[in-house]
Amino acid sequence: MIRTLRRSWPGVPWVVPTVVLLLALTIYPLVYSVKVSFTGPAGFSLANYARLLQDRLFLQAMAQTLLYTVVALAIEFALGFALALLVDSLGRGRAFVRAGLLAPMLLPPVVVAVIWRLIYNPQFGVLNGTLRNLGIHTSALTWASGERGALASVILVDVWEWTPFLFLLLSAGLQALPQEPLEAARMDGASPWQVFRDIVLPLLKPVMTLAILLRTMDLLRIFDQIFILTQGGPGFATETVSLYIYRTAFRFFNFGYASAMSFLALGLTIVFARSLMRLMRVSR
Amino acid sequence: MRAACTCIIAAALLAGCRNEPPALTIAINAGVEGDALKVAAAEWGARNRVRVDIVELPYANLFEKELLDLTSHTGAYDIIMMDDPWFPRLVEDGQLAALEKRPDADFLASCLDVCRAPYRTCVFYALPYVGNSQLFFYRKDLFDKHGLAAPATWNDVLAAAKKIGAAEKMYGYVMRAAPGNAVITDFMPLFWAFGAEIFNRDGHAAVATPQAVECVRFMLELGKYSPPGYTGFNADEVSGHLLQSTAIMSINWPAWIAAMDDPARSKVVGKIAFAQVPSARQKGVAELGSWLLGIPAGSKNRQRATEFLFWATAPEQMKQAALRGNPPTRRSVFNDPELRARFRSFPAQLASLESARPRPRSPLWNEIENAFGIRVSQANSGSVTPEEALQRANQEIDAIMQRAK
Repeated sequence: MIRTLRRSWPGVPWVVPTVVLLLALTIYPLVYSVKVSFTGPAGFSLANYARLLQDRLFLQAMAQTLLYTVVALAIEFALGFALALLVDSLGRGRAFVRAGLLAPMLLPPVVVAVIWRLIYNPQFGVLNGTLRNLGIHTSALTWASGERGALASVILVDVWEWTPFLFLLLSAGLQALPQEPLEAARMDGASPWQVFRDIVLPLLKPVMTLAILLRTMDLLRIFDQIFILTQGGPGFATETVSLYIYRTAFRFFNFGYASAMSFLALGLTIVFARSLMRLMRVSR
Repeated sequence: MRAACTCIIAAALLAGCRNEPPALTIAINAGVEGDALKVAAAEWGARNRVRVDIVELPYANLFEKELLDLTSHTGAYDIIMMDDPWFPRLVEDGQLAALEKRPDADFLASCLDVCRAPYRTCVFYALPYVGNSQLFFYRKDLFDKHGLAAPATWNDVLAAAKKIGAAEKMYGYVMRAAPGNAVITDFMPLFWAFGAEIFNRDGHAAVATPQAVECVRFMLELGKYSPPGYTGFNADEVSGHLLQSTAIMSINWPAWIAAMDDPARSKVVGKIAFAQVPSARQKGVAELGSWLLGIPAGSKNRQRATEFLFWATAPEQMKQAALRGNPPTRRSVFNDPELRARFRSFPAQLASLESARPRPRSPLWNEIENAFGIRVSQANSGSVTPEEALQRANQEIDAIMQRAK
């Protein structure tokens, strides 16, 4: 039988170790976590999923994560696109400017968070220090330490670090645009705005979809920056789903509930990604 | 030539592979509390001619690594260093090995009590290594200048914060108020002093009592004399304000005493005094935060681990650890004349440790502290009223207790 198998599928022995490794490291933990999420003290249970709907803190964390994602994505996309258009229009020094703009993205998120934590310190931080030197009263400017400004402050850090990522993708998209339609439109007397609206934007749509999709998935699972900057506080002001799941799993060791939350978050991410792709396809 | 190089590299790799496993592997906290243990472990290893491996982990990860090791019985660690509130969770289900010998009576009772399960009674599962309990840090030079005695009550603290703060253009009081562990750590001495408790006699949550509401209101009053953004403060920000001479008083841990008198870091050398936590309705007591050493039940080197545990916590070794900056857990070491001459805070530390109170001994404490911490932090930042914050905390703590049944 083995001989027949070997003759029919000669590649099988080469693929088996990879498949076994994949099953052991990916599929088994995934299946196990599904099982754990449906396990209660007396065996099979939907209690973890039922608790999700009653857990006010989880729902608040979910709402905050969505708000964080939408606001950060909108700002990063607008800034990244504007920068890409600006750099694309530059003649000399384009490579130099591009390399400079990418610097924040190259830093590890944990390092970025620690740096911004120092910058945001209301008393000793460089931000309030500079504002004070300019004669601005800073006692109300508490940045990440104040309940009102905390979420905006962590979004600002994300924008600073990840706008270059969108700039990079969109800039590469602009570079790869075919020149013929652009030249033809200009020769036909189209204004720069018309060229941008009717040719550049439609041609750039696949790159834009990809950029938004990648960034959205990353934003929905934001963890490291907030963990270092605010630990979800003050109060619950900057708690996100990932942080809440981490705490439930690794501080309270409630793996069943943490798994249930993870699957809900995963489901929402998939739905969001599918909807976005469908939307972009329809409007193409 | 190439063949010779290959042989040398292969020999080196083989030599690496043949390396003996360590006689002991110790998981420690990456911080001042673990530094002395690292030195002691190296010394013990050299003396016994065995290899001792140290796994140094930041506070935020140490608990989860240890609990994962204990629950899955990997035997990765032979000795673990643990913060005392973690002990009830780590000792559950026979995950820690019971000590074969009883510790001697020189250890302070408050430190020994938290090494037993159930609390204060029965079997010892750990030994106390670092005698941490909170102290009240205040600017003695400014109190003297304004003719004030050391604050004995929380009302004294508030009055001094108003008077000295206004006169010196400084923040009167600074507290840790970041959500979770930070805010609760600084809040508990105030909470206890106002006569409030986490649980009632029946074991139900009792954090929404009139005493607790009064306590939160008082905390908000103190917050008026705190630096802006204090609701996000952790230990480093609190100590930063004392070191930079921008705040007058705070509750703090002994680990920061050395920094206060270090001219390279501090603008207040010799100006900070260390007192007991102030009182209110009840006598003020500090929160205990001792570091313990225990042996996982899955350890494959239990005998050696036991030898090291008793050696590292013996008076001579604890004196060495104290010289390296660790607060001791033995009365004889606190009373050592050489150490008393060197560490001016030792009498206050000993007094604090003798009366210090541990956090509630519950395996669910991490979760309870997190829920309570979020609500207290929200009250601090003004997003909810004290009554609302405490009522929500009460419901959430009860729900946590209920789920665990």
